[in-house]
Amino acid sequence: MSTLTKILIVLLTISSIFLCGIVVTYVANADNYRDQYNKQRADRDGLQENVASLTEQLNNKIAEKDDLGGRLSREIASLNTQISTLKRDLKAANEEKKILVQRVSNMASVVETSSQTAGEQGQLLKDTLAELNKLQAEQIKLSAELDDTSAMLLEKFAIIQTLEIEKKRLLEEKTELQSRLDRLFLPTGKLPTAPVIVTPEKDIARPTTVTARDIGLKGLVTAVDLKNKMASISIGTADGVKEGMKFHVIRGDKFICDILIIDTDAEEAVGALELVQEQPRAGDVVSTEL
Amino acid sequence: MSPNRPIRGGKPVASDNLYTVILGIAFCVVLATAALVAYKCYFQYGTIFKIP
Repeated sequence: MSTLTKILIVLLTISSIFLCGIVVTYVANADNYRDQYNKQRADRDGLQENVASLTEQLNNKIAEKDDLGGRLSREIASLNTQISTLKRDLKAANEEKKILVQRVSNMASVVETSSQTAGEQGQLLKDTLAELNKLQAEQIKLSAELDDTSAMLLEKFAIIQTLEIEKKRLLEEKTELQSRLDRLFLPTGKLPTAPVIVTPEKDIARPTTVTARDIGLKGLVTAVDLKNKMASISIGTADGVKEGMKFHVIRGDKFICDILIIDTDAEEAVGALELVQEQPRAGDVVSTEL
Repeated sequence: MSPNRPIRGGKPVASDNLYTVILGIAFCVVLATAALVAYKCYFQYGTIFKIP
């Protein structure tokens, strides 16, 4: 075998091993396109199924959308009807509101007038109460004057009664004197003439001066009730005794006690004993002055 | 035994059987590579010579 053949054998072997290594390396590292194809086809099938499912869902959604659109259209129409109704109601409510506002303003004016009237009535009531108080005070004053007048009237009645007794006594004396004159003049054949009244019955009233004087009442103790510390005296309203007057009881020059008059009669008065120094007795002198 | 056997005591020379072995090894390597390629083609594409 020639040397060249040997060299070629060695080169052929080396190149074969090198190329085979390259091919083995390439084939071992090459991608498995069949698996990738199957995988992508499976993915495609899955995606197609998804597309079909999504298409069906889309169709369902479209149908639901149409149904919902129809229902919403009907609801919109109903709501539009309600809106128109509510607008009419709102308009009516606004009209009623205007009327009520007008009424409220009228009521406010009425209330204001009523308040003013109430204030005037209150002022009038205050004035009336003040006048009532004034009239009550005047009534009390008049009652006091009436009491004084009644006492004075009783006193005048007592005086009139005394004067009537005096008049009766004078008439009796006149009758007695007339009978004496008749007996005196009858033997001489004469009659006494009626006496001429020299005192005028009526005259113009003239003012006179009024002078103050002490009462100066005096009387006697008529009865004594030591148990109740009460005593009665012999003078009453006819003599000018009034309730609340104070009398001093004296015996000779000795002061016995005081009597505060609490009840009066025409000719008698009753009072309570005060400042008792000695036991009073019937017959002791009572006086308003010591 | 090759007739061109080197003379004892001269330059050593390989025998011809060695080159035959080298050629056999190269043939085996190429054959194994072809088998691997065929195996890969068949199991990846389902055929050896056609393009799917």
